[in-house]
Amino acid sequence: MCELINGIFPEKFREEYDRVFKAEKPLFTVVGDLAIKGGYSDSAVCVTKEKIYAFDESFTEHVFSIGIKDIKKTKVKRMYGNAIFFAETVDGKKIRLMRFTFASANVADAASDFINAVVEEGYSDELIYAVENTYEKQRSFCPKCGRKLQSPNAECLNCKGKGKMFTKFAKYALPYKTKLIICMLLSVFTTGMALIPPYITGYMVDKVLPSGQSSMLIRMILVLLGVYILQYTVSAYRAYLLRLTGDKIVLGLKKDIYEKAQYLPMSFYDKTSTGSVINRVNSDTAVIQNFVMKLTQEAVVQLFTLVGILVIMICLNWKLTLFSLVPIPLVVMIGRLFGKKIGPRYMRIWRRSTAISTLLADTVPGIRVVKAFTNEKSVVKKFDAYCDAWLEEDTSVAKISGIFPQLMTFLVTCGTLIIWFSGGSFIISGADGFSVGLLVSFVSYASMFYTPINFFANLNDVYQNTLASAEKILDILDAEPEHDFGKNTNTERIEGKIEFRNVNFSFDRSKKVLSNINLTIEPGDIVGIVGTTGSGKSTLINLIMRYYDDYEGEILIDGKNLREIDMSYYRSQIGFVQQEPMMFKDTVFNNIAYGTPNAHVEQVLRAADVANAHGFISRLPDSYDTMLGERGIGVSGGEKQRISIARAVMKNPSILIFDEATAAVDSETEHLIQEAIERLIRGRTTLMIAHRLSTLRNANKIVVVDKGEIIECGTPQELMALKGKYYKLIQIQSMGEKLQAKKKEENFE
Amino acid sequence: MINYIDGSEIKITENDGIFVDVQFYGSDEKLIGLEPHRLFPRSGGNKYVALLNSEGEQLAIIRDTANLMPESRKVIESALEEYYMIPRITRFIEMTEKFKIWMWTAETDHGVIKFEIRNHMTAVKPLYDGRVLIIDANDNRYEIPDYRKLDKRSRKMLEPKL
Repeated sequence: MCELINGIFPEKFREEYDRVFKAEKPLFTVVGDLAIKGGYSDSAVCVTKEKIYAFDESFTEHVFSIGIKDIKKTKVKRMYGNAIFFAETVDGKKIRLMRFTFASANVADAASDFINAVVEEGYSDELIYAVENTYEKQRSFCPKCGRKLQSPNAECLNCKGKGKMFTKFAKYALPYKTKLIICMLLSVFTTGMALIPPYITGYMVDKVLPSGQSSMLIRMILVLLGVYILQYTVSAYRAYLLRLTGDKIVLGLKKDIYEKAQYLPMSFYDKTSTGSVINRVNSDTAVIQNFVMKLTQEAVVQLFTLVGILVIMICLNWKLTLFSLVPIPLVVMIGRLFGKKIGPRYMRIWRRSTAISTLLADTVPGIRVVKAFTNEKSVVKKFDAYCDAWLEEDTSVAKISGIFPQLMTFLVTCGTLIIWFSGGSFIISGADGFSVGLLVSFVSYASMFYTPINFFANLNDVYQNTLASAEKILDILDAEPEHDFGKNTNTERIEGKIEFRNVNFSFDRSKKVLSNINLTIEPGDIVGIVGTTGSGKSTLINLIMRYYDDYEGEILIDGKNLREIDMSYYRSQIGFVQQEPMMFKDTVFNNIAYGTPNAHVEQVLRAADVANAHGFISRLPDSYDTMLGERGIGVSGGEKQRISIARAVMKNPSILIFDEATAAVDSETEHLIQEAIERLIRGRTTLMIAHRLSTLRNANKIVVVDKGEIIECGTPQELMALKGKYYKLIQIQSMGEKLQAKKKEENFE
Repeated sequence: MINYIDGSEIKITENDGIFVDVQFYGSDEKLIGLEPHRLFPRSGGNKYVALLNSEGEQLAIIRDTANLMPESRKVIESALEEYYMIPRITRFIEMTEKFKIWMWTAETDHGVIKFEIRNHMTAVKPLYDGRVLIIDANDNRYEIPDYRKLDKRSRKMLEPKL
């Protein structure tokens, strides 16, 4: 077995380490990054079967050791931005073994659990497997660059360069390559056409006009006309073809982002605002589209123009060509400077505009709350402030993007002046092979020549803007989706046995939400989950729903690891009724049939009937065709709840979960809902979170959760006999109910 | 109901590191091993500090530790100092980027630290008063009290990410 360590052992304790571990190596080592006294410094704790060795500068000789048999328990105390690994000795002393930032928190937790288990039941190999597991998770480094990965075996974002970014986007263009090539060929054609007129003008000045032949003049003009007609007709067709192709490419991208966003884990949405996701699907793809159009449409044209003109100019007169190249280094230099200045600013503009969309996404659907709290003024003020912040950034960009292009155009114009001067001087001095016609066509070519250069210099601006958006999009496209390790491993039907084995979970490392959860739920059990707000009840449900994957320990469904069951199949077997049901902007019928495509009408009617929803739906003027608003405007809270129960009925699930399903409704509606629930749960494993304990009267098992731990578990009778927390809660609630009943009576009298 | 403490009615003595003992004047009862918690760790500093017992229940709130007796104040503030580690960044030494994962090296009041930023869109939060809050890939927090007061080089590195 290789040594378990979460980093490199600190060099400054190497001597002490070598002295302590001569023959036997530690089972595992936790490397910390803070000194016990505070401040960044190296530290470490090594654990063997019998002893713990802590390395820190504050210990005499930098090392402290204690036998595990002298320890009562160990604990990781998480604080703010740092944590301490404590050991409490048998004689009641508290010893700080190590301090660290959250970077090492998970392994320290595992170490602490291991030591406590050894204290309680002695060393066994099984205990070390749990530690190994945690280290394995921690140890997902990229083999190439050593950077920590999002998860084991994930692709290292560091090791694939920006080139890969283009390959990523090129994927969307590839299906349209024939059309793109046709467009390119048409571009070459139109560019060639555009190069003809200046040559003809030069020819007319030098040959036709001095000759005085009007038939020749007419012929030349007809040739010019033909060239123009051909050029612009082809251009129009090409523009149409390109626009269509560009739209299709970007639509493919948009669809992919949306699809990907659907499969991202909940932890992504915990950290990312809705507004910024919407912004990415809409605005950022538009930016990319603009860039794709610019690149495929204009860039190709301009490149051909550039090369074509350069060749013609050199053929006409290489000396004059050199003169016209003079301003180019300046133009390019300024273009680069421009890009450097404007790039970061576009990023900032993006942040500001995202802030605006986030505010919109919050307050427009939340308008009822805004009005209820007469908060219109402050919302408007906030919006103004965000807009002003955006304007501030935009102003600085506007300044730069206003000045730079003009500066470049000015330089370009100066370039033509140079040609007039040098070419004019050649003609005046009567140099060989120089004519007025040559100069005229040269000046036209030169002004055509600067346009592509100007374009490429400006392209940088668009490119920078695009890069910012591309990164944003890749943020979603490259984010890891929910893992579905068990894809296509369908079992016939989930029986509904749920087991939690030593499950620990935290949203981020700063606070443990669930710790050491051990729970077995048999098929057909009706389990009430009880606990104060914030005790971890809903998180427990979130884990069963597999919204989060990065818990420690195991969750088994019918004896199978949850992570190894096909996710979509598994979720299809769960009926989930939330406290605030989400209604989609669709008809009542489609809202009920939401998870069941191709549902039969009577199936839906039956589900609505079981859910006690059919009655009120049939009384609505539009009945099952009633359109529900964004948040279910038009039906009451209790009615929405019944629709969502009908939705759960449709799935015919093996496991049913009710998260405070009756918390937000009056007692009569509660009765209706309760009735529906009772009909629904027969023969299915049911988990119910409830504040009102009276709703749990059918439960054959009660789980009391407190501060992320299960403190009581058993039948209601057992728990009542225990006189613990559940007993207390029942007492409080029945007292409250009695008081209410008494008040009611008094009122009646 | 919340018990507020304004200042001189309590005496705070040292317990162990992040814990303190509290005694009300005129009462013999001594509350042992209370944990002071900032109610506004990001915005409020040492104003509104809750005292929690070992069960995590709040016993009282100190409105402002500055109004405590000097001895008591010293004890509680050092306990808070111990609990809350939000390194204040004074200078940026280096920011390297490879494909939008950043390694930042910064000088803080706790020493020099190198940390990883996965996505500066979500990890770097500028506030309107010039403060900047940073959360690294390991969920550790850092703070820049006023980015406008950083040296020119650090500002140049940071500003594009705001």
